[in-house]
Amino acid sequence: MEVRYFADIRPLAGTDEEKRPAAPTVQALLSALAAEKGPAFASRVLEGGKLSDAIIILVNGRHIDYLNGVQTPLSADDVVAVFPMVGGG
Amino acid sequence: MNAWSGTILRVNLTSGAISREATNRRDAALFLGARGLGVKILTDEVDAKVDPLSPENKLIFAPGPFTGTFAPSAGRYHVVTKSPLTGGIAGANSGGSFGADLHYAGYDALILEGKAAKPVYLWIRDDKVEIRDASHLWGKWVPDTTDALRQETDEDAKVACIGPAGEKLVLFAAIMNEMHRAAGRGGVGAVMGSKNLKAVAVVGTNGIRVADPKAFEAAVLKGRAQVAANPVGGTGLGTWGTDVLVNILNQIGSLPTRNFHDGYFPTADKVGGESLKAQILVRPKGCFSCVIHCGRVIKVTNPKYAGEGEGPEYEAAWCMGPDCGIDNLDAIAKANMLCNEIGMDSITMGATVACAMDLYEAGLISKEDVDGLDLHWGNAETMVKLTKMTGLREGLGNKLALGSYRFASLYGHPEYAMTVKKQEMPAYDPRGVQGIGLEYATCNRGGCHVKGYTISVEVLGQEPKMDPRVIQGKPAIVKIFQDLTAAVDAAGGCIFGTFGMGGDDYATMLSALTGVPYTAETLLQVGERIWNLERLFNLHAGFTSKDDTLPERLYKSPIQTGPAKGMISHVPEMLPEYYRLRGWDENGVPTEKRLEELQLADQLVGA
Repeated sequence: MEVRYFADIRPLAGTDEEKRPAAPTVQALLSALAAEKGPAFASRVLEGGKLSDAIIILVNGRHIDYLNGVQTPLSADDVVAVFPMVGGG
Repeated sequence: MNAWSGTILRVNLTSGAISREATNRRDAALFLGARGLGVKILTDEVDAKVDPLSPENKLIFAPGPFTGTFAPSAGRYHVVTKSPLTGGIAGANSGGSFGADLHYAGYDALILEGKAAKPVYLWIRDDKVEIRDASHLWGKWVPDTTDALRQETDEDAKVACIGPAGEKLVLFAAIMNEMHRAAGRGGVGAVMGSKNLKAVAVVGTNGIRVADPKAFEAAVLKGRAQVAANPVGGTGLGTWGTDVLVNILNQIGSLPTRNFHDGYFPTADKVGGESLKAQILVRPKGCFSCVIHCGRVIKVTNPKYAGEGEGPEYEAAWCMGPDCGIDNLDAIAKANMLCNEIGMDSITMGATVACAMDLYEAGLISKEDVDGLDLHWGNAETMVKLTKMTGLREGLGNKLALGSYRFASLYGHPEYAMTVKKQEMPAYDPRGVQGIGLEYATCNRGGCHVKGYTISVEVLGQEPKMDPRVIQGKPAIVKIFQDLTAAVDAAGGCIFGTFGMGGDDYATMLSALTGVPYTAETLLQVGERIWNLERLFNLHAGFTSKDDTLPERLYKSPIQTGPAKGMISHVPEMLPEYYRLRGWDENGVPTEKRLEELQLADQLVGA
């Protein structure tokens, strides 16, 4: 699977995007990333082990709120995008 | 009067008469100021059927009650007139400090009417107002005009002016204040040019009376803290600017690409806010009393596109970038700077180039028609050249100066124009984000996102979050956003303040400032009143419900690639419910009952 990072998540992840072995769910992916990327990434993305309200996760272009949240299942050909809350207009 | 200056300044450019009149207290309470008061004055004084570029049209500059106070991001003023681009109401607002100085000078509105016999500018220092010769400034670009006027008047003067595009009646010419801030949309700069008015320079030294200073201070500090604590208002916009939206819109598959043929652009990241910050950002910049600082001061060192200026905003980066198949950030920044310097709306400019490229790719205009330029998708050099040629009305630019609808119509193909009411749509594909399509279709000033920015809840994770792909609930949220935005605009606030503040916060601040007791509910009603009055102006001008629609391409040609592949817009399915929620009949005409509820009974259609 492919994971893409944006805005201030990029320096915390240490990369713009990467190929990774598929995780079973978004929650599992986030837990693996938190352990791998270090405390700065973990504290930005997770709050008390749960997905931060200030983070937007897309799976194949769909916000996970409209899928199955952090329990959304993942497969090898999925694209996951990790955004902070951003805005404009 | 508390908050309001109590005076409206009227300048007749034909006769040279300068007069003052008292601000109507009822109008002030019902319409607040800025966009609201401007629309009220325009509808009272201008026949909606006038030629927008004739002396009979009027140009109204108006700050709001917030403008010049330390309310969060309270630097906005509105320019209201009849649009030469759409033929309907034009309301364009801008930040910086011009609006604050106009308010400090003692005016709730400046009404400009008639037409000067030769180029002039207006110099305002509080109650001293002069019409001065501007022959020596005619033809000058915005930076030179601004510098010259500061030398001639006061080094602290705030200058709102037009560039060559306004002088030459480019139908989407902007009014630029403090060089880089634009009242951009709808061709307000062309109306200014049609009046032979090059600039307004103002210094204001008075204060703004506050009804309850302690309550106002408490409400303002609370509001500022809320915006600062919001992930978007507090750090997101200041760090990344609005251009950060490129990637999230692209990742959901709703970044309009190649004149809305597609919704996904593989190399979009090269023109997004992350790239802008890494490559050309000098520093962020804020407007008067700003908490957010979304402005981008930039420097481009690439010799081909070198320059120093500001921007681009997300909209400009999109229309001069992916919408033209371009991923060259330096070229985009250069074209955006040219728009600021010559005085043009960057959205219509970029989208009009995209339309021209689309026609060219389809073989509907030939190489001979386009001055030998190569208009294939992705040609950044051509896009920059056409921007300058349009502002100066040279060669093909003379036709592009009409905007994409009239340009495409010259070749018999208006369906290639991605416009609503002849104004170009912005940077969110309504096939992938359904609510914003309804906003585009119904916005009183034509294709526009910012007067009902449902992207906040459909894409950006603000509450109440809504699935961008569904239509359920969208008519109601579009109406709420349109009404709230009208109220914030009328107050003189920046709409980005809503990243942190809600209707209750605005009502509390306004009540303490004005002494008029507002609630979130009555504030929404102010917004609804403004929206309906704008609608009535458009109906009088000749618009009908048939104009509340999107280009056929968005209904019949699905997005081709990316996450939103296969999607189309469903605006026609949402429109009846939207009309019903607005209290309009099936033809989109406000009912007598609704107008009476909004205290607009004297504005009935046909009255």
